[in-house]
Amino acid sequence: MWAMVAKEFRQLRRDRRTVAMMIVLPAVLLIVFGYAANFKVTSIPTVIVGPGAGQAATLLHAPFDVVEVDAAASQATARSRLQDGRAIVAVVTGGRGPQVLMDGTQLLSVLTAQSALAKMLATRPAGSPAPPVSVRILYDPKLITSWVMVPGLAGLILVFIGTLITSLGVVRERQTGTLEQLAVMPLRSRDVIAGKIAPYLMVAAVDLVLIILIGMGVFHVPFTGNVATFALGAALFLLVTLGIGVLISTVSQNQGQAIQLAFMIMLPQVLLSGLIFPVTSMAAGVQWISYVLPLTYFVEISRGVMLKATPISALWQPLGLLALLAAVVLGLAIIRFRRDLAPSDRRARGQARALERVADAP
Amino acid sequence: MNVLAQVRGVSRRFGSFTAVHPTDLAIAEGEVVGLLGANGAGKTTLIRLLLGLLEPSAGVVRLFGAAPSVAGRRRVGYLPQTLGLYLDLTVAENWRFTASAFGNVAATMPENIRAWSDQLVSDLPLGGQRQVAFGVALSHQPELLVLDEPTSGVGPLAAARLWEDIRLAAQYGAGVLVTTHNMEEAQECDRLVVMADGLVVTSGTAADIIGDHTVVEVRCGDGRDGSWRRAFALLDGNGFVVQMDGQALRAAGDDEAVRDLLRGGGIDAVVEAVTANLEEAFVAIVSARDAFRPPAA
Amino acid sequence: MRWGLEHVRLSFGRRVALDGVTVPVEPSGVTVLVGGDGAGKSSCLKTLVGLVQPESGSVRRPPKQGIGYVPATAGVYEDLTVQENLDFSADAYQLPSRQRGGRQAEILDRIGLAAARHRLGAQLSGGMRRKLAVGLALLHSPEMLVLDEPTTGVDPVSRAELWRLIAGAAAAGTAVTVATTYVNEAARATSVVLIEAGKVLASGSPETILRGVPGALGAAQGTARPTPLSWRRGVSWRVWAPAGELPGGVQQRDPDFEDAVVVAELADERGRQRR
Repeated sequence: MWAMVAKEFRQLRRDRRTVAMMIVLPAVLLIVFGYAANFKVTSIPTVIVGPGAGQAATLLHAPFDVVEVDAAASQATARSRLQDGRAIVAVVTGGRGPQVLMDGTQLLSVLTAQSALAKMLATRPAGSPAPPVSVRILYDPKLITSWVMVPGLAGLILVFIGTLITSLGVVRERQTGTLEQLAVMPLRSRDVIAGKIAPYLMVAAVDLVLIILIGMGVFHVPFTGNVATFALGAALFLLVTLGIGVLISTVSQNQGQAIQLAFMIMLPQVLLSGLIFPVTSMAAGVQWISYVLPLTYFVEISRGVMLKATPISALWQPLGLLALLAAVVLGLAIIRFRRDLAPSDRRARGQARALERVADAP
Repeated sequence: MNVLAQVRGVSRRFGSFTAVHPTDLAIAEGEVVGLLGANGAGKTTLIRLLLGLLEPSAGVVRLFGAAPSVAGRRRVGYLPQTLGLYLDLTVAENWRFTASAFGNVAATMPENIRAWSDQLVSDLPLGGQRQVAFGVALSHQPELLVLDEPTSGVGPLAAARLWEDIRLAAQYGAGVLVTTHNMEEAQECDRLVVMADGLVVTSGTAADIIGDHTVVEVRCGDGRDGSWRRAFALLDGNGFVVQMDGQALRAAGDDEAVRDLLRGGGIDAVVEAVTANLEEAFVAIVSARDAFRPPAA
Repeated sequence: MRWGLEHVRLSFGRRVALDGVTVPVEPSGVTVLVGGDGAGKSSCLKTLVGLVQPESGSVRRPPKQGIGYVPATAGVYEDLTVQENLDFSADAYQLPSRQRGGRQAEILDRIGLAAARHRLGAQLSGGMRRKLAVGLALLHSPEMLVLDEPTTGVDPVSRAELWRLIAGAAAAGTAVTVATTYVNEAARATSVVLIEAGKVLASGSPETILRGVPGALGAAQGTARPTPLSWRRGVSWRVWAPAGELPGGVQQRDPDFEDAVVVAELADERGRQRR
């Protein structure tokens, strides 16, 4: 038995990649997730409209983060801000008393806002009358968790399936030797990459629709917005996710490596995509990671369209960024594939000065 | 001569499929026996029966004069085609691991691989890796060696060096069983046992097996006028199995028939029946195997 | 030289894979590249079909449409049937649909897999898979057919059949190049190139190679190694005398290809030791 132990240690010593994974990765993950996970919401974007806006603004302080004060604006404007996701709480002054509207899709923020509001009212100077504050929670009035989670979960499921499936695509060709065959055939790199993604795109799209429909059926999640907008967001999201999978497979030498990389890309998306913890409440040091994860944008789009009927004009940013990510990921995959036609352990020297003469066919 | 391992009338069935028909095989001290046959011919099954790793459906197996046992297998050295070495360890580390696993820590590394002691196995050329694997398989001084295609993929000089090691082991009294489907390897053995579809179709030395098998050799002009191409096309198109051999063609069949066919096609050639080589004899024997009917079980 | 490599130098990082290698490839011929593992055979073929670019030297090849390539690992999709593999090849090479069916049937017949049309690649034996790979490469009637170790690990009967396919392609005008570790396959060539450690040891027709073996060759018996320049051959030894004088008790022998390759390697070793 000792012989086995000694041998395994000797092998392990040389396998730097596994050692790094076993020691470095857990440390990094713990730190990142530690900073990301934050049940206490520290910043709630708030907009105040109506005649008493200025005065209300002076009364509101942390966690409310007043981003807009517009005395001339009406309730419609306030609602639109919530719908567009520019604010989570809107205070409409005037009339019989201030009306506080809250975006029910931001569960944690709403709970924090409610308790902060209650505390404010409880600690007002003694003797002053209680203002007739009415609170309305929009979009998810009963604060049902499944309503808020299902749109994002659909994306998460597809991140797992999509990335994993396509990450094995090119690696499998490399291992069976058919990759070299493809390289010698009159096929272009982009044809191969497109061929590797297209079938999975179709299947994943069907998958997504199925998951959403089941979510709507079982949990009665509403679909209030524009289907076309959702479809566009979904298509771009799937393109990025599957593209990342193909990119992984072009940089992996074997299936084990591909799966390792796929998992390292999938894990952060669970905690850092705004699915559970709001992105705005993450420490700045880790917040930037959310902005390169495709799921972050899909969560925003799917929640917005399904629960708030957010119009496409308000979603140009996440849609545009998804499109950008898609272009970058697919472009890298194609470049990588073109350069990578030789087998894994062989790289021809960069400065190939070949004097190549290709004879014409007779 | 002392017989080290033997099977008599041994057969093995898996359900309705007979992997090995009743077979006799014996390996004695100091001899190198080649088990020649295609993959799926039953070579691996026969070896597993011989070593007691598989129960025979019928027949008797004797390993070192007794029924196969774990103790008996300790006296066997097995060299699989995939080396059985850890590529990410050095030669010395591999040696130490095997020695310690066999409880044989005092064993000293053979001289020819000592120079590579501190090199990672993966850094050695394949021929070197095979030599190291052989050395390691021999470290517990087995009396019977079973080698699976020991020189496949290795050039002739490296193969000759490995065969030196094998011959030396045989000189010291080990019995060696080599399984192969490579003619060059087969011809290094003292005698051959040829298997196809679970049956021993012939055995003996290479010369015995070639026997009086002949092939027809065809030489056309100087090969530059393209007549060999027409000859090939004509013979091939008429069902003859033709092979190129430098400036000549070799076809299985009757020389008269070939001569007539070529004359009829207007091709000027010298046609002669010559002795077949081992590969041609093997193909002829195995292809004609339909003539063999295994005895009713 | 219609196609092939000329004075090609190729390195991977610091390792020199090919050092001034010339490999001629002619139509209606079979060029056999013989060498052991790591000799540079695969590098030669990959350079020939354009998978890698050499640092110097020239490479001539037909355009992609005119090349048929069978890599060492068979290049057959195991989760597709024989027919589906043929369809993919036909699509990739854009075979006109009118010709497709007839050509596929013709190839299936030649490779003897007509009965296995709907069998999965994974269910074929090693030999059948190799034959299918060759069939896929011949489907579009390429001018140049390149095969990397097509017979390694294949049973002798399939081996003979593969060579029949190769010879047939050459007879039909194709320029065929085969890389192999089996020295006796050099006998089947119209042109042989012996390669070791990235360098060409000898090149020419099979007869030229055999006639060109320097010094004298003989056979000796006994258990002890006769001279330092001897190697095992079956139960006896082969002895090589570079200067031409065989020691006493050694019988002269005409060299065969195995001898030619070993002598070439030994000569190369001696040359390097002297330097």
